[in-house]
Amino acid sequence: MIDFNGARVVYANGACALDGLDLEIAAGEMVVVVGLSGAGKSTLLRAVNGLVPLTSGDLRVAGRSVRQARGRALRLLRAEVGMIFQDFRLVRQLRVLDNVLVGRLARVAAWRSVIGAWPKHDVDLAFDALERVGLLARAYDRASQLSGGQQQRVGIARALAQQPSVILADEPVASLDPVTSKQVMDDLTRINRELGITTLVNLHDLDLATAYGERIVGLRAGKRVFDGPGAGVRAADFDRIYGRSAPSDDRQEARGER
Amino acid sequence: MSGDASRHSRPRRPSRLDLGTVATLVAAGLLLVAAWEIEVPVARLRGAPAQLAGLLRQFLPPDLGYGRQQVLPALLDSLAIAWVGTLIGALLSLPLGLLGARNLFPRLGFPVKSLLAAIRAFPEILLAIYFVPMVGLGPFAGTLAVGLHSVGMLGKLTAEIIESADLRPVEAIRAAGGDATSVLRFGVLPQVFSEVVALWLFRFEINLRASAVLGVVGAGGIGGLMFNTLRYRHFAQTGAVVLATVLVVLAVDSSSGALRQRLTREPLPASDP
Amino acid sequence: MSNGSSPSRGAHRPLPPRRLRQRWVSTGALAGLIALTAWAGARVGFSLRELLGNLDKLTRLLDDSFPPEWSFWPRLRAPLVETLAIALLATAAGSLVAVPLSLFAARPVAPAAWVYRTARAAMNLLRTMPDLFWAMLFASAVGFGPFAGVMALSVFTAAVVSKLLSESAEAIDPRVLEAVRASGGGWLECVRFAVWPQVAPHFASYALYSLEINVRASTVLGLVGAGGIGMVLRTQLSLFEYDRVVLIILVSFLVVLVIEQISALTRRRLV
Repeated sequence: MIDFNGARVVYANGACALDGLDLEIAAGEMVVVVGLSGAGKSTLLRAVNGLVPLTSGDLRVAGRSVRQARGRALRLLRAEVGMIFQDFRLVRQLRVLDNVLVGRLARVAAWRSVIGAWPKHDVDLAFDALERVGLLARAYDRASQLSGGQQQRVGIARALAQQPSVILADEPVASLDPVTSKQVMDDLTRINRELGITTLVNLHDLDLATAYGERIVGLRAGKRVFDGPGAGVRAADFDRIYGRSAPSDDRQEARGER
Repeated sequence: MSGDASRHSRPRRPSRLDLGTVATLVAAGLLLVAAWEIEVPVARLRGAPAQLAGLLRQFLPPDLGYGRQQVLPALLDSLAIAWVGTLIGALLSLPLGLLGARNLFPRLGFPVKSLLAAIRAFPEILLAIYFVPMVGLGPFAGTLAVGLHSVGMLGKLTAEIIESADLRPVEAIRAAGGDATSVLRFGVLPQVFSEVVALWLFRFEINLRASAVLGVVGAGGIGGLMFNTLRYRHFAQTGAVVLATVLVVLAVDSSSGALRQRLTREPLPASDP
Repeated sequence: MSNGSSPSRGAHRPLPPRRLRQRWVSTGALAGLIALTAWAGARVGFSLRELLGNLDKLTRLLDDSFPPEWSFWPRLRAPLVETLAIALLATAAGSLVAVPLSLFAARPVAPAAWVYRTARAAMNLLRTMPDLFWAMLFASAVGFGPFAGVMALSVFTAAVVSKLLSESAEAIDPRVLEAVRASGGGWLECVRFAVWPQVAPHFASYALYSLEINVRASTVLGLVGAGGIGMVLRTQLSLFEYDRVVLIILVSFLVVLVIEQISALTRRRLV
């Protein structure tokens, strides 16, 4: 489904975010990406929907090359790929329903969306997505009236409304409390299992990652340094990904036992 | 995806009639009345840009000789009017702005601001109508008009700048035994100085345009030339007037804009160390 | 020091930073400003003596003006309505034109760099001309009367509002823009869903602000033949009928004041 082949991303200031990355993700897989800040997690995700262009190398999504997609083709590619952000990124001034309808933009004629004459089919899809995340009742509320966790679920609904084949989640729970974080991660896992949507999630918390990661990919300085099931993460792997000792060591340090 | 089953559990769509739509409808209604009042025929509307373009074409090539002889001195007059006028406005607006600041003078705030609003409501050109017979035709009348009108806007905005200043240093200075002058010099001035000067620069940009226009009533500057060259249909000369005005205003705008940006970024020191 | 010890003699106090060059620059600038003021003052013929010496002329003028010729009021009603109509139409037309112009002139929103540069240049050029200059131009082009006034102020309004609106558009939260783009939105959709909701309240505020400016401007447009109450003013001025002139000025002043208050109140409730 997603195929990185020697992918390199070098930003304008010279920083190398992805350094010859090779990665294959099959359809329907749920992959958690972990690594330090600046290791390339965000860049990896943003490369998939073309928000960050590759400097060199190849990247294919559903068999189509991302590098060559332009204009309308790029928009259709992005319609296939739903994205969820750490800061939710809802349009605060618009209603929840309108925010979810944003997910249908690529498939609806511009004049229709601009004046608000959405086709019934797309409105139905939006409501269905809201129902799936359990926020149907809040459809006509202003997005700013919702709590953080609720806004994130609207973000998920927006992605779902796209009827995507891939969902990218960039640190989806970093701004949420532990209880809501678990809810959101459960939602993402359920969506992956029930709808078979390939899911790529960035997490900075390795404990959370091992709890949910059937497959964990560890990035360091733009390179893949770990790739395997969450249960198989050893202390040595942790060291390779983060360059220091395991989380339990941190807790022991905090307790003054080390 | 479910579809029909969920239709019944969807929340009711709220009424479309909110304050925003009502206001827009009222505005649209007013506009229709206005359009009918002025009898804007669509035919004239379509022809207007073409007519303007035709006129503008007659401005080229601009009469540069006329430009050098008449336009340049008139522009210098306008610049001078704007400069002195802004200065007068700035100087007069300082005490008024201070008095009008509600955090410094709570009871004077409203009356002073009303006075300033009243001054502001007089367009400069109407003020010039009285200054011209008083001090004669020419730029002096224009300067007085610009200066007096500027006090209105400058005073109001100066008061607002002071009102948004942090008053805690003022408290500290008073507690340390400082008198009113010290409070001003050390508590208020450093905070507001750069913003106020930036405001004066902005007003200078506006006043340049105002002073360009005053010549129409004989109060000096380039407005008179614009009016007369158009009236006597010496369009090449009008071209020179327009060209010169555009260039000078552009120059003033960009340098003033750059200065203003530097002022509002770096706070100026209260005194030399 | 209350404990009586003498200030440190042996320790070195830090030297004040070397601001010599800055001192020269600021003294030079100050001297330049004073020279500029002196030149400008001389050029305009600024003379406090003349100002104070002619106060008797002013009193005579005011004497001629007051009491205002109230019976002249019926002849002002129609021109006043025309003035307001000019201001309303020009505000609407100018604000509408300003929307696309300001979106193109905002860097995060402009679809391409050359569009941004062209729009910026056009905006800055339009802004240089004073409103009365436009009025004179349009009066020559399409003939005297309110139509010229509406056209002129529309252009002026477009210039003013687009400058303000483009600054608002440049200050939008770009992250929301990225999110809409990630969902597959094109330029128009991005503007409608990510940019417009953020700038809409500002737009209403700027439109009202330009209404204030336009009402003020439309009262004097007639002086150059572009319709409204200014045309009556010009006639009465040429006849030296100061008691009518002052009535016109008072009426204009009141109208401007009322509109300003309404506009200010509404704007405060918007943002």
